[in-house]
Amino acid sequence: MSTPTIGAADERAAPEVAEPARIAAEIRHGRWGDIWRAISRNRKALVGVLLMLVFVVLAIFPGQIAPYNPSAEIFPPALGVSRQHLLGTTAYGQDIFSQVVWGTRLSLVIALAAGALATVLAVLVGVSAAYLGGVTDGVLSLITDVLLVIPIFPLVIVIAAYSKSSGLGTLVIVLGALGWSYGARQLRSQTLSLRTRDFLEAARVRGERPMYVVLFEILPTMTSLIVASFLGAALYAVLTAAGLQFIGLGDPNSQSWGTMLYWAENNEALGAGMPLWAIAPGVCVALLGASFALLNYAFDEISSPALRVRRLERKRLRPVPEPEPKSTPSERAEQPEGTVLSVQDLSVAYATDAGPVVAVDRVSFELGSREFLAIVGESGCGKSTLLYAIARLLGAPMAGEIIGGRVLFQGRDLVLLKDEELRSVRWRNLSVVMQSAMNALNPVLTVAEQMRDACEAHSKMSKAEIEARSREVLRLVSIDPVHLHSYPHQLSGGMRQRAMIAMALLFTPDLVIMDEPTSALDVVAQRSLMVQIKELQEQLGFAVIFVTHDMSLVSHFSDRLLVMYAAQIAELSPTEQLFTRPLHPYSRGLLDAFPSIHGEKLRLEGIPGSPPDLRQPPAGCRFAARCPLVEDRCTKTEVPLVAVNGSLVRCVRRGELAE
Amino acid sequence: MRFVLRRLGFFVITLWAAVTVNFLIPRLMPGNPAVAMMARYRGHINPSALHAIEIALGVNTHQSLLSAYFSYLGNLARGNFGVSLTFFPDPVMQDVLKALPWTLALVGTTTIIAFALGTLIGLISGWKRGGKLDGVLPPLFVITSAFPYFWLAMLTIWLFSIKLGWAPQSGGYDVAGNGPSWTWSFAGEAVKYAMLPALTIIITAIGGWILTMRNNMISVLTEDYVRMARAKGLPPWRIMWTYAGRNAILPNLTGFAMSLGFVVSGAILVEYVFNYPGVGWMFLQSVENQDYALMQGLFLMIVVAVLTCILAADVATALLDPRTRDVR
Repeated sequence: MSTPTIGAADERAAPEVAEPARIAAEIRHGRWGDIWRAISRNRKALVGVLLMLVFVVLAIFPGQIAPYNPSAEIFPPALGVSRQHLLGTTAYGQDIFSQVVWGTRLSLVIALAAGALATVLAVLVGVSAAYLGGVTDGVLSLITDVLLVIPIFPLVIVIAAYSKSSGLGTLVIVLGALGWSYGARQLRSQTLSLRTRDFLEAARVRGERPMYVVLFEILPTMTSLIVASFLGAALYAVLTAAGLQFIGLGDPNSQSWGTMLYWAENNEALGAGMPLWAIAPGVCVALLGASFALLNYAFDEISSPALRVRRLERKRLRPVPEPEPKSTPSERAEQPEGTVLSVQDLSVAYATDAGPVVAVDRVSFELGSREFLAIVGESGCGKSTLLYAIARLLGAPMAGEIIGGRVLFQGRDLVLLKDEELRSVRWRNLSVVMQSAMNALNPVLTVAEQMRDACEAHSKMSKAEIEARSREVLRLVSIDPVHLHSYPHQLSGGMRQRAMIAMALLFTPDLVIMDEPTSALDVVAQRSLMVQIKELQEQLGFAVIFVTHDMSLVSHFSDRLLVMYAAQIAELSPTEQLFTRPLHPYSRGLLDAFPSIHGEKLRLEGIPGSPPDLRQPPAGCRFAARCPLVEDRCTKTEVPLVAVNGSLVRCVRRGELAE
Repeated sequence: MRFVLRRLGFFVITLWAAVTVNFLIPRLMPGNPAVAMMARYRGHINPSALHAIEIALGVNTHQSLLSAYFSYLGNLARGNFGVSLTFFPDPVMQDVLKALPWTLALVGTTTIIAFALGTLIGLISGWKRGGKLDGVLPPLFVITSAFPYFWLAMLTIWLFSIKLGWAPQSGGYDVAGNGPSWTWSFAGEAVKYAMLPALTIIITAIGGWILTMRNNMISVLTEDYVRMARAKGLPPWRIMWTYAGRNAILPNLTGFAMSLGFVVSGAILVEYVFNYPGVGWMFLQSVENQDYALMQGLFLMIVVAVLTCILAADVATALLDPRTRDVR
C-alpha cells in the first residue's frame, strides 16, 4: 500500500483497506512506537492497558503487595473495613485485601494461558481450513460451527462434574480447547478473502511452500484479528473460570477470586451484612474482564478506521483558499440565464490522520440546461468528490466537507440549504446515478419498493399511479416491466444499471449526475447504455454531469469536457475542440493514453509519474513534475485558469499550444 | 428452501454431536464417579430404568461400546433419560419438563428484550455516531458486558432486595403460598419474582448486541445504497430503518446465534444465585448431588433450546434477506 494520498480518499473503500494492512506492516517492521501512539490516543485503550498493567503487577508481586498470608485464619472473623484490613476479613478471619491480591495470579494465568491456547487452535483451524479448502475446509468448518453453537459453559460443567482432577491444568486445557471456534471462524473468512490477493499469488508463483506462505505472508496481515480473538478468548476464560469456581467446581482451597465468591455465597455474605465478601473479588473479575473487553473494543477501532470519528481540523487547513482572480471581469454572483447549475469556487477538504487535505480546489463552471458535461481525470483527481459535493452527498464514508464556494441550482445555493430543504430538491429536480448498481440498490428491497419510496417521499401519487410510473420508466430504459418486483440480485448487471437510471428518471429531473455509470459493464454494454442515456437526454431534456476516467467513452456524447488534475480544473473545452486541439499538456497526455479507432497505429504514450501529494501541493503548476513542456516559470507561482478561444485552461504556455 | 434444509441438517448434526459427547464424556473420564453413585439406586428402581441409567453413564461393563451407544440413542429417542436421584423417583424427563417453562419464560423473554433493546440502541448510536447516546452507552455496556452474571445477580439482590426491599430475594414464586397455578394472581407473583433475575440478564446481555449492531450500522452507512437513499431525498427515519438498519441487523442475527451460548451460561448462574426453579438451577443442583442422569438430560435440554433459538434466528434472516432465500 502506498501512502494514502487524496487518491485513496476518492476510491471509497481504499482507506479502510489500506490502514489495517499498514498497521500490520508496521508491526512486522517492529515499529511498536506507532502502535503505542495509537493506543495512547485512544481513551478506551489507555484505560484497558492501565488496568491490565495493575493486574500484571499484582500477579507478579503478590508477596510484596499483600500485607498478610491470604489463607491464614488469624484475625477475628467478619471485621469491617479498617486501616489494618483495607477490605475487612472473611468469615474465617482471613484478610480480604491479601486474598484479592493473591487471587490475581490464578485468574490472570488462566486468562492468558486459555486465551493463548484457544488462539493457537483458532489460527490452526481457521487458516488451514481456508488455505487447504475442499473437504478439509468442509469438515473443519462444520466442527467449528457445531462447537460455536453448543453452549460451552454447561459442557464444561459436565466435564468438571465427571473429572475428579479440577486442577489448573485441566481448567486451562478445557477452556482453551472449547473456546477457539469464534476466532477460527473469523480467521477463516479473513484468510479466504486474502487467498486471491496479489501478494499471495506472487508467493505461489515463486514456488514458496504453503507453510512459508501461511507463516510469513498470511499471518502478519491478520495480526489485528489474531489479537482480537486472543482478547475475546481471554475474556471468556476469565468469566467462565470465575463461574466454575463460584459454583464450587474449582479447587476450594485455591487462591482465586472465584473461590472467594464461592465462600462468600456459602457464608451468605449478603444476608450476613458483609457485602464486601462478594463485592471485592467480584469487582476484580469485572475489572479484569473490562480491561480485556476495552482493549478488544479499542483494538477494533484502531485497526478499522471506519469505526473512528474523524473531524476536519480547520485550524490545520491552509488558509481557506481565496476565490481565484478572474480573468474575465464579469461578476458571477448570480446564476446566468439558461444555466441549470452554476458552481462557483467550490472547495472540499477531507479529514485524514495526517491532517486535512483539499481534494477539490476552487472549481467553477456553468452548466447549461440540456447540456452534457463530462468530467474526466485520473482516479484521485477529485472528480467524484466534486460530483458528490455538488449533490451534497459528502459525509460517511468519506469525511469530506465543503469548505468554500457556492453551488447555485435553480436560483438556490445548495451549499447553504438545510437537510430538510435539500430533500425537496433531491430526485424531483436533481437525481444521481452511481457507479455500481449492485452496491447502490438496497439488496433487501425490490426495485418496485425502491421506486415507491422515492415517489412517496416527493409526491402524493397513489399506489396505482406509482406502479404505473415505475413501469413506464422501466420501459424507457428497455427493461421489461415484469422485472419491477425483482430484487436487485435477481437482475443482470446491465439490467441493474438500467434500473438505476430508470429510477433517476422517475420525476424527469432537470439535472442527472452520473458517476461512471457504465464502468461496471463490458464494452458492448457500455456503448449501448451510453447511446441510450444520450437518447433519453435528448428526449426528456435534462442536463447531465458525467464523471468518467475514460475519455474515449464520452467523446461522441458530451458537449463539453472538464479535465481535472490534482483537485483543480486543468482545462474546460468543447469536446470537439479538446479532442482535436487540447490546450493543456495534461489533456494531451490523456488523449495519447487512449487508442484511436480510426487513426494509424501508434505507441500509446501514457503520462509518466504520478499526481502530487495533495497534503503538500507544489507551489506552481501542479502538473509541472510530469509535464514534457515544463519551464522554469511553471514552478514559481500558481497558474491561473485563463480563457482562450472559448476554452478555459490552466497553463503558462497556453499561447503556444493554442496555435 | 434449500437454505432451510441446510440449516435443518446442521441442526441435526449439532444435536447428534451433543448427544455423542454426552455419551462419551463419562466413559473417557478416569475413575468414573458415577459407579459409586449407582449403588444408591440398587433395589430402589425397576431393572429397566436402572439399565438405562447404566448405559447413559457408562457404568455398564457387559455391553460393547458400540451396542451401548445404540441402546443409548434408542433410549433418548423414546424419551427415556433414566430416573432422577435428586427428585427420586421422578423420571428425568418429568423433572426437565417441570423446569423448562420457568427458564423459557425468564431466559426467553429477557433474551428477546435484550436483543431488541440492544439492537435498537446500537442502531441509533451508530446512526448518530459521535452523538451523546453514542458517547455514553456503548463504552458503558462494554464494561457491563464483562461483568460476571452471577456477581451482578448478587449485587442486585443486595441492593434491590436486601437494602431496598423492592423485590423478593430468591425463588420463582412464594413457596409459602398456594404454589404454581394458571391464575392471574400467580402470574403476577411469578413476574414479581422474575424481576431481579431478568434485570441481571438484560444488563449483562445487552452490551454485546449494542456493540455489534453499532459497528454493523457504521459499516452499512458507508454503503452506496445509503448514499443513494440520501440522494433520493428519503426521510431520515426511512433511511435509518429500511436502508441502514435492515441491512445492519442481518449480521447481528448471525451474531445472535454465536453469543446465545454466552447468555445461556450466564442465565444458568443467575438461576443458581436466585434459586430460580428453572433448567439452570436444576442443572447445578444435579451437579451438586452427583445426579448424573438428571445432569445429562438437562444438558441435552439446554442444547436443544439453544439450537431452537438459532433456527429461529435463521428463519428471521431468511425473512429479512431475500438473497438467502434465492441463493444456493
